[in-house]
Amino acid sequence: MNNFLKFLSFFFGAVFSIFLFLSISLMIRNPFISGNNNEGASVKKYNYAFFLPKADASFIRSLRQGAADAAKSLDCAVSFHPIDSDPLSFEMACFSGFDGFGLYLYEDDKKKLQQLSEILKKGIPVVQIENEVTQSPGSFFIGTNNFDVGKGIARLALETGRKKINMVLVYSKKNPGVITDGRLIEMGIKSVMGERLSVLRTEETSLNPLDAEILVHDLLNEESSIDIIVLTDYNDTLVTVQSIIDMNLVGVVNIIGFGDHETIKSYIDKGVILGSIVRNPYRIGFSTVMALKEISENGYTSAYVDTGITILSGRMQ
Amino acid sequence: MKNSLKARLLFYFSVSMVIILFSMGFVLVTSLKLQRIADRRFEDEKFLQELKTHLSDLQLPLEHYLSTYSSSSLSKLLFIMETLGSSVPSARPVTSDESDLIKREIYFLMDAYLEQLNQIIEQKRGRKVQQYIQSYDEIINLYRYINSRINAVSLIGFRVQLEEYQNFLDLFRRMQLYNILQILMATAFAFSLLMQTVNNITSPMYQLSGMAGKLSGGLFDIPDVHLSSVNEVNQVAEAFNDMKHNIHHYIEELQKQKEMEQQIMKERVRNLKMEQLLKRMELYTLQAQMNPHFLFNTINTGVQLAIVEEADRTAEFMENLARLFRYNIREKQFFVPLRHEIEGLQSYYNILRIRFPKTLKLRLDVDDELLDRFDCPAMVIQPLVENSVLHAFKKKGGKGTVSVSVRYEDPVLIISVRDDGVGIPDDTVKMLLTPHVHDYQLSSKVMGLENVIQRCYFLYPDQKDVIDINTSRDNGTEILIRIHTEVQPCIRL
Repeated sequence: MNNFLKFLSFFFGAVFSIFLFLSISLMIRNPFISGNNNEGASVKKYNYAFFLPKADASFIRSLRQGAADAAKSLDCAVSFHPIDSDPLSFEMACFSGFDGFGLYLYEDDKKKLQQLSEILKKGIPVVQIENEVTQSPGSFFIGTNNFDVGKGIARLALETGRKKINMVLVYSKKNPGVITDGRLIEMGIKSVMGERLSVLRTEETSLNPLDAEILVHDLLNEESSIDIIVLTDYNDTLVTVQSIIDMNLVGVVNIIGFGDHETIKSYIDKGVILGSIVRNPYRIGFSTVMALKEISENGYTSAYVDTGITILSGRMQ
Repeated sequence: MKNSLKARLLFYFSVSMVIILFSMGFVLVTSLKLQRIADRRFEDEKFLQELKTHLSDLQLPLEHYLSTYSSSSLSKLLFIMETLGSSVPSARPVTSDESDLIKREIYFLMDAYLEQLNQIIEQKRGRKVQQYIQSYDEIINLYRYINSRINAVSLIGFRVQLEEYQNFLDLFRRMQLYNILQILMATAFAFSLLMQTVNNITSPMYQLSGMAGKLSGGLFDIPDVHLSSVNEVNQVAEAFNDMKHNIHHYIEELQKQKEMEQQIMKERVRNLKMEQLLKRMELYTLQAQMNPHFLFNTINTGVQLAIVEEADRTAEFMENLARLFRYNIREKQFFVPLRHEIEGLQSYYNILRIRFPKTLKLRLDVDDELLDRFDCPAMVIQPLVENSVLHAFKKKGGKGTVSVSVRYEDPVLIISVRDDGVGIPDDTVKMLLTPHVHDYQLSSKVMGLENVIQRCYFLYPDQKDVIDINTSRDNGTEILIRIHTEVQPCIRL
């Protein structure tokens, strides 16, 4: 009897201890109680703001990811703000206590330029991403050299072996940065192709992901002599390819795409797409944060950082 | 003191209470903690809403001041500005949390707002109409933006809280479950401790009561009770053991006393019997003294007559008879020298030889050295021989033999009377060898033998093998008397 009672005491004591342990460990482990629910609650030194187009393009997403990863590894905080849909946000940027800005300006908006100059006046470092809309001390550029992009497109076009090439360059609001520096791209194309470029026509698609389909249909219906269509957005590339396939013009009309998505790569393998221009938005985002931190700590950084392009083509497989 | 009932009860009570209080305290602390967590979720929101209210409160006095230049509006404006300024935290750590970053942004915007407000007041005082109107536009924009940022952070907070709500509920339920189980287990633990203590006390008590029952049943050989309970119970057990030993000892003493009394009673009864026997013997002797003397004198006269008539065999017979009578009459003692007994037997032999010259063969085998060395009870051999002569050969034809031998096997003197007669039945032997008071109802045929046997038992009460009868049907009988020479007979006259 006594042994049984001893066993009972031991049993209840043990179970009590287990529940006590569970309670305490639950309290310690639980982020509500331990205060660890705020993963990024550790104090950082710098807070940088990125003003980017609101477009939910893969380019912007990748850029944001690069910036966020850089912020994590470089122990600083970044916040992202729309530069186009919320003008007040950019207007108030200089009062918001940010230690630096990453700006993706793609329009010659006077108000924005004025605001940029206000920021620069206050001595807050600014990195202009992809498009250098203004050049001033305290402002730096990180992005792709669009002239090189144009040269890359031209080289791909020459690979078709056509003597005279009618080319359509399709810009997209989904990738507005390219529109701003469109002239540089065109210059790059012309500089390489020279006389072999018969016609270079430019078009623009809206934010609608299917807009390119209408455009391609219209283009090919009204003008049958188009040899190459150059796209500057990933979505537009996919839609255009599908249209060409539907119209049974594969091989007749060549496509130069944009981006390195697996679908695009597979089209390149099949010969449906001639090649693709790949920029590195992740690297752009990462480099921007790096540059801002360097400026915050040292007061200077390289004024111009070219993150380069990659050309995907069948030849490269 | 440590092992006392009081100390143990106090200890277990304290342990139980501490555990239960700890559990309940833990539950209380946990609940408060959970409440605080819930409160904290809304603290920031409340603070931001307060800021928003202050900002909103500023708008009317600002407009009023700018439009009327009212000093009361200005003082109100300044008061709210002061309140707002002191409300905005100066520490604005940078974290990677989106809400924290927006809050930090809001605080900077508030700084800018207050600065611009001061600027507007200065411009108003300086009558710089164009400037303060422009500044007013700007500050309204700032005010709207601050409100939109507060709304944004509230929205983010709400979304986060919504996401966290289910997790928080899960946590709360699990904590409550663990806490309830904890209290239950603590109560059960305390109860089992209490039961253990109670059992520690009651179990030895049951043991003691069982032992007491055995004791009351007269079982004193039970082992001592050794308990490892509380001091009080252990002391009771020790006292119980002492009591058991004392009672055992006392009862043993009583038993011894009783045995002694029984012994004394037995002795007394024996003495009484002996006394009775002696008186009876004395009576017999007195009665017998008359006839034997008369017979002895008559036999002597017969001896003289036989000599005168020259009847030698008759004279010899009569002389032996007279000698035997003289021995019988003379030996009034219980013990006689062995020589006297043998001499008496030889006289009896001589008579028997004359009586049964052809049918009876008598043998005597005694070492002369023994005759004067040892005594033996008087009149034991002759009655045995007489018994053999009378009963052993009645139904047997031919010549019978009776042999008497005496030998010494240190320290026992063995007298053997043996015949080759018909033997004695077993039941008679059994009856004869049973010690008893002489019963005159017994067959007179064995009276002499019985007399000898009972006398031997009487004289040597502690020596059960003092006499023995070896007999078998038609193979004769041997009666053995074993006299332990180192053992004193109970009576010696």
